[in-house]
Amino acid sequence: MAKAGRTLPLILPGGAVFLAFFFLPLAGLFVESFRLYTPGSIGSSANAPFTLANYAELLTPAFAEFFLETIRISLLASLAGLVFAFVLAYWIARRLEQRRRALAVGLLVTLMFLSVLVRTYALELTFGAAGPLRSLLLALGISPNGRGYIELLVGAGLLHYIIPMATLTLLATIQNVDPRLVDAAQALGAPAWKAHLSITLPLSVRGLLAAFLFAFSFSISAFVIPMILGKGRVLFISNLIYTRFSEIADYPSGAAISIVLFAVAIAFVYVMSRQINRRWAA
Amino acid sequence: MSGRTLDDGLRAIGLVLIGLVILFLLIPIAVTAVMAFDARPYLGPLPPPALSLRWFARFFSDDYFLNGLLTSVELACLSVAVSLGAGVATAFALDRARFAGKEAAVTLFLSPLIVPPVVTGFALLLFLAELGLLNGFARLLCGHIIITIPYTIRATLAGLAGIDRSLTEAALTLGATERHAFWDVTFPLARTGIVSGAIFAFAVSMDDVSVSIMLTDAHTYTLPIALVSSMRANFDLSIAAASVMLMLLTLALIVILERSVGLNRAIGQGVFR
Repeated sequence: MAKAGRTLPLILPGGAVFLAFFFLPLAGLFVESFRLYTPGSIGSSANAPFTLANYAELLTPAFAEFFLETIRISLLASLAGLVFAFVLAYWIARRLEQRRRALAVGLLVTLMFLSVLVRTYALELTFGAAGPLRSLLLALGISPNGRGYIELLVGAGLLHYIIPMATLTLLATIQNVDPRLVDAAQALGAPAWKAHLSITLPLSVRGLLAAFLFAFSFSISAFVIPMILGKGRVLFISNLIYTRFSEIADYPSGAAISIVLFAVAIAFVYVMSRQINRRWAA
Repeated sequence: MSGRTLDDGLRAIGLVLIGLVILFLLIPIAVTAVMAFDARPYLGPLPPPALSLRWFARFFSDDYFLNGLLTSVELACLSVAVSLGAGVATAFALDRARFAGKEAAVTLFLSPLIVPPVVTGFALLLFLAELGLLNGFARLLCGHIIITIPYTIRATLAGLAGIDRSLTEAALTLGATERHAFWDVTFPLARTGIVSGAIFAFAVSMDDVSVSIMLTDAHTYTLPIALVSSMRANFDLSIAAASVMLMLLTLALIVILERSVGLNRAIGQGVFR
C-alpha cells in the first residue's frame, strides 16, 4: 500500500487554489462587511472604521422584505417541485418498462444540464408578456406584468430545474421501496392511496429530504432566474448583492448581505444533512 | 367501496399532473427551438409563417456575441485544465490520506458547491481588487477555477471510491513499482470519474453567470453575460438562436457522458450542484 505521506503533497495545488480564490476572499468579505461606508465613494476606504451599521440596516423592514420574499418563493417552489417530482418519479419507476425508463432518465439528465440561461429565456419567451399565452392571459383577466404573475414566473423558473433534479433524486429512492409491501397492503383491503400514504411515502422520507435540500439551497442562491424573469419587480437576495455592487458601489453593505446569505445557506445545508444522515443511520 | 373510487380519482389526477409537468418541462424548449427559425424580422406570435436561418446569421454577425463566445470557450478550456490537474491531484491525496479531519477536509474542498455563487464572485472581486489584479480575463479565470474545481474533486473521489484496493495491492505484490501501479492500475480505473468531472466542469464554466457577472470588465465578458445583458436590453430572437446552439452543446455533452461513462454512473458521481 502506498504511504499516505508520499501522496499528501498532491493536495498542495488544490489547497493553494482554495486558499487564494476562496477562503481568503471569504475572510476578506467578512472583514469588509464591518467597514463603515461613506456614500458616494466606491467601496470602503482602506482604513475605514469598523461598524455594525451594515448589519443593522438589514433589520429594517425594506431589507427584511427581500429576505422573506426569497425564502417564501424558494420554499413554495421547492415544496411544489417535490410533489410534482414524487408523482413523476413514481410513474417512471413503476409504470414504465425498462427501455422507456432509461429514455426518461436521459431526458431528465439533459433537462437538468440545460443552461440556466436557455431555461429562463425559453420560459420568458413562452409564458412572458410577449409570449403566445398573452391573449389567453388577458382573456382570463391576468396581467402578464402584474406582480402575482411575475412571482409565479420566477417560481416556474426555479421549478424547471427543481423538477428534473428532484425526480432523479427520488427515482433511486422509490426504486428501493419494495413494491410487494404496497401489494400486500392492498391485498389486505387497504385502498391504494392509503397504502402509499402509510408505506411508499414514509419509506421515501430520506429521498424527499435530500431532494428538498438540493431544491431549497438551489433556490435561495438563485441569481439569473429572478434577474430575468423577475424583471426588477421580484429581486432575490443574490440580485440585491449585485445591485449593491453595480449600482451604488456600496461594497460593505453588499458584503454584509453576502455574509447573511452565506450563513443562511450553510446553516440550512448543515441542519438538513444532519437530519438525512440520522435517518440513514436509523 | 369509497376507497376504491377515491383511488380511481387520485390516479386520474396523478396522470393529468404528470402530463402537465411533462408539458411544462418541454413546451418552452420546443417554443424556443421553433422561434429561433422564425423568418419574421420581429418577435411575432406563434407559429412563424415561414422559417429561415436569419437569427443564426444575426448571431454570427454580431461581434458582441462572438467576442463572448470566444472568451467563454477559452475560459472553459483553461479553467477545466487547471481544475482537472489540481482537482485530480487533490482527490488522489484525499483518497489515500488517513488523518483525523479527513471528512472535514473533503467537505471544505466541496464547499464552493454550497456557498451561493454570487457570494463567491463578490468575495473574489473584493479580494482581487485588493491585490491589484484588475485584468478581466485573469479575474474570470480565477472565478471559473474555483466554481469548477469541486466538480473535478468530487467526481474523481467517487471514481476512486469504486476501485477495489486489492487490485492496486495485487500489482504491488506482483512486483510493480508504486509509480507503475498508480499509472497502470489506479489511474485507468479512476478514469470514468475524471472524465465525468471534466464534463461537469466544462458545462458549469460555459453556463456561469452569477460569478462571472462580478468579474467581467467592459472588454472581457463571457457568452452568458453577453446574452443576459442583451436579454435585458431587447428581447430579440438571436438569443433564441444562441439557445438552440447551447441546447445542442448540452445534448453533445450528455451523449459524450453516456458513451464514455454511462449516465447512471455519472449521476452517482454527482451531477447535482
